[in-house]
Amino acid sequence: MQIFKNIEIIDLCLFLTKSKTLVIPDVHIGYEEALNKQGILIPRTQFKEIMINIEKIIKEVIFRFNSINQIIILGDLKHEFGRISETEWRQTLRFLDFLSKFCNNIILIKGNHDTILGPIAKKRNLEIVDNCLVDDILFVHGDKIPTEISKQTKTIIIGHEHPAISLKQGPRVEKYKCFLKGNWIMNKKIISKLEKYAFKEQRIYNLIVMPSFNPLIEGTDILKEELLNPLLKQADIGKLDVFIVGDNVYNFGKIKEIVKHMK
Amino acid sequence: MEKHQKSLINIKEIPNKPEEIDQILHPLVKTWFFNRFKAYSLPQLFGVMEIHSRSNILVSAPTGATKTLTGFLSILNELIDSHEKGILEDRVYCVYISPLKALNEDIKVNLIEPLREMETLAGKANGDLGIRIGVRTGDTTQNEKQKMLKLPPHILITTPESLALMLSSPKFREHLKKVEWMIVDEIHALAENKRGVHLSLSMERLSYLSPHLTRIGLSATIAPLEEVGSFLVGANRECKIVNVQFIKEMDLKVLCPVKDLIGVEHALMHHSMYEMMDKLIQEHKTTLIFTNTRSATERVVDFLKEKFPAKYTENIGAHHGSLSVTHRRKIETQLREGKLKVCVSSTSLELGIDIGYVDLVLCLGSPKSVARALQRIGRSGHRLHETTKGRIIVLDRDDLVECAVLLKSAIERKIDKIHIPTNALDVLAQQIHGLCLEQKWNVNELYNLIKQSYCYKYLQKKDFIEVLEFLSGKFASLEDRHVYAKIWFDEVSQEAGKRGRMSRVIYMTNIGTIPDETFITVKVGEAVIGKLDEAFLERLKRGDVFVLGGEQYEFLYAKGMVALVKPALQRPPNIPSWFSEMLPLSFDLGLEIGRFRKLMEEKFKAEKPEKEIKDFINTYLYVDENSANAIYNYFKEQYDYIGEIPTDKKIIIEHYEDQYGKKMLFHSLYGRRVNDVLSRAIALAISRTEHKDVEIGINDNGFYISAEKSIHPKKALELLKSEKMELVMRAAIDKTEVLRRRFRHCAARALMILRSYKGHTKHVGRQQVNSMLLLTAVKRISDDFCILKEARREVLEDLMDIENAKKIIKGIEDKKIAVIEIHTKIPTPFAFNLALQGYVDVLKIEEKVEFLRRMHQLVLAKIGLGKK
Repeated sequence: MQIFKNIEIIDLCLFLTKSKTLVIPDVHIGYEEALNKQGILIPRTQFKEIMINIEKIIKEVIFRFNSINQIIILGDLKHEFGRISETEWRQTLRFLDFLSKFCNNIILIKGNHDTILGPIAKKRNLEIVDNCLVDDILFVHGDKIPTEISKQTKTIIIGHEHPAISLKQGPRVEKYKCFLKGNWIMNKKIISKLEKYAFKEQRIYNLIVMPSFNPLIEGTDILKEELLNPLLKQADIGKLDVFIVGDNVYNFGKIKEIVKHMK
Repeated sequence: MEKHQKSLINIKEIPNKPEEIDQILHPLVKTWFFNRFKAYSLPQLFGVMEIHSRSNILVSAPTGATKTLTGFLSILNELIDSHEKGILEDRVYCVYISPLKALNEDIKVNLIEPLREMETLAGKANGDLGIRIGVRTGDTTQNEKQKMLKLPPHILITTPESLALMLSSPKFREHLKKVEWMIVDEIHALAENKRGVHLSLSMERLSYLSPHLTRIGLSATIAPLEEVGSFLVGANRECKIVNVQFIKEMDLKVLCPVKDLIGVEHALMHHSMYEMMDKLIQEHKTTLIFTNTRSATERVVDFLKEKFPAKYTENIGAHHGSLSVTHRRKIETQLREGKLKVCVSSTSLELGIDIGYVDLVLCLGSPKSVARALQRIGRSGHRLHETTKGRIIVLDRDDLVECAVLLKSAIERKIDKIHIPTNALDVLAQQIHGLCLEQKWNVNELYNLIKQSYCYKYLQKKDFIEVLEFLSGKFASLEDRHVYAKIWFDEVSQEAGKRGRMSRVIYMTNIGTIPDETFITVKVGEAVIGKLDEAFLERLKRGDVFVLGGEQYEFLYAKGMVALVKPALQRPPNIPSWFSEMLPLSFDLGLEIGRFRKLMEEKFKAEKPEKEIKDFINTYLYVDENSANAIYNYFKEQYDYIGEIPTDKKIIIEHYEDQYGKKMLFHSLYGRRVNDVLSRAIALAISRTEHKDVEIGINDNGFYISAEKSIHPKKALELLKSEKMELVMRAAIDKTEVLRRRFRHCAARALMILRSYKGHTKHVGRQQVNSMLLLTAVKRISDDFCILKEARREVLEDLMDIENAKKIIKGIEDKKIAVIEIHTKIPTPFAFNLALQGYVDVLKIEEKVEFLRRMHQLVLAKIGLGKK
């Protein structure tokens, strides 16, 4: 489904049809291991699922659009802060190697969990960047407000928040991962805090928030939980459009409308 | 086998003669005893000789009936005798286990005092009798433990959890190899839950170390005593039962605060109730009030203070499980010292902690079971020859009928049966982990040891092996297995033992069976205003208004385990209040009420005159005229409306429609544990044929089912087959919140989720993991994973009551229970509370994806309409 002009939602990923760019949000490899370390000894099944899912997505993209020119990993590729565990190391390499079978141009965007992704990236000659611009689209992880926004930027795509929404009818409540689409206003107050900014006047950007790619991380319920994302905190939440990812992608329209009709 | 079992358990009908006890007592003990008491009490006449001759025994008597001294008299006697003869060894002779740390401290004092007195009598200095009493609980310091290791106490006072730890402690267990007596106090409070199941295995572990162990159980009012006796001694051992439950005089009454329970405004009712409570409190020296929930406890204290500021100040206190230990200890001390006029409690003061002199117990609302009522009321008149005095205040007519029948049962000594959980695989996993720390086992030997426990005597070998496989991490890949495996299990040699260095630490720091509470803290700004059930939060979205502690709040947002709200004075609540786990009405009491209803229906059908029916109520139920009037009117209204009264042998299905839709109200007065099963089974049958989610509401007196389409509930009910219930219910609970929550508890007991790991202890909040996530992960391994199987068993057998539900279904199959249908515009009086009640759950038949698609259609359609 198209979420924006030339931007398609493919399951939990985005595909930019013009530049043939595949965007993969928060994968959090090693999440179960991190839970294990906290004493939650659930069996590790997520990596298998992640691999099955990414393969399915790539196949769909190639089937529909022939090829992939570049892959952007939108931050938090791995879960652990601090040190890299053996499993994480092994699985991260396997994930990257799998991607490179389809496309050699992989861009790693730094997430807040990726404090020491360096050694892994180096092993595969990949660069880690804070942000990246493709045509007029700026990619950042989303844990902080971008300090640099180039002049041609019109759209910002972020992850980090892991948005989800719970639908409710009578006593039944179910939570689904979703994409959010809306506007983000770079107002004067924010501008005044930034060191570098190309404009002096308030500007409005298109904003897309991607859900988590990890099967175990359902995400933050936008209807009830406190939002973490500094960009989202300032957005008018009711005006955001919701695209729920289930067996298909479902456009649910604006949040305020959904809330109004959910009894 | 069952028959053989029964002959092992025998009721002792005739007490021993005082002279017999005189003969066995050491002169010093005898002198001390008669200095303190005039004569042996009845429990002592029954029990002391048995314990002296090493018979296993269960003594059931009310609080204050000298149970504890009965248990200890022979033991102290023998220890003193051994000391005198110079043969007292440095080892543990007696292990005393109680569920409460506070009780343990009481017991210690109550043992040391007589010893000191005997020493004085013998002209000796303190401690000269050389008998050591030690307490070992979670609060015992490392230093104290070291001292105990060097010089073990002769009588070791402990809790079930600490006992399990000591059994796995390589050094201390050496002291547990020749234990001669084990006393389990307050066994009634343990047998009915998983702490008891856990203890049943620890008892076997202790018996394995000390083969000549004599088991002594002390219990408040409970039934059936034979079963509790079996629980105490395990399979294939003898036990004598002493029943002196009814030696105290009882003065019990049900009170209505107003003359007419219907048509009274809430405010007036409230006012009258507090007036009544105040009057009763003022007429007595010390009053203990029981409520059914913790929050109600706080409310009652606040209201009494507010309404009678001059009377209730420092002399009123609250005591419940959510309060800090320090606070509770303070209240207990104040009670003992007679400084409190009134104390309000939920369930925490039901157990035998010494609370001094209480001359009146007030129950607000029904205690829901006869045994519980007697335990609560038994807290008054603590001494043996005092009368216990209890009053139950009822607030509506269902409550009135329920409590009146409850009182009848209590007076006529019909006590409802407890349910002892069996074959709990989570507790089994924890205990096998502990057993493997002790030594290497042949698995057949291990299996046989476990089957000695009453709770596991029918354990299937297959289930046992699955637990071994779980503990050895068979579910994980070989390379990851070290993370999960706590034992090794060699299928070829059929041996098992401990694995890894972490295994012992994990066990020592994580055992126990009481689930960590997973409540959401509700805050206005920084101020904490209460706690909410985790599942309740799932139903809230921003802007929803709900009631908490009598106040309305608007939900703002959640942050981890905290829900931020603001007061919402103007807006009505749109989310019904909901409590996941209320005290359920006992099945037996439900049936008793059903029988009373049947007798009443017969009278109405026979067109008996009003006076005759009222007289009948008066004598049958032991109630006053006011109550008899109210009960008469209640039944008459019901009968006049539809000419039918639901009974234990007749279920009425009432089709009723209000502005919110159609509801099918089932009058099935079998308690919510049974209704939980019946309603879900019927809802499943309906949702399968209609392929729609079905909403259910449940209380003790019945349940309702609500669906958009018209459905045939009677057909659905009659389609159910008692022998298929397990299958039906497995499907019916599969997607429920309660299964997920109980699964998390089970995973914690099976040490799959650890509170403490690698030196970190987590708060419940941090340990909070989406229970759905856990369940999904485990289902990926197998839908029959042993811990998941256990969660299902716990939900169906312990939380709900599938066994008795099957009896009802069987009754319908055999036409012994009639099912009739009626249609009403306004609900019948008996259905009134049920019709007003909010939903409890929804039976999800639609897959998550289907629900998504339908919601999508719904939202699209509504947006589409909005645009026109």
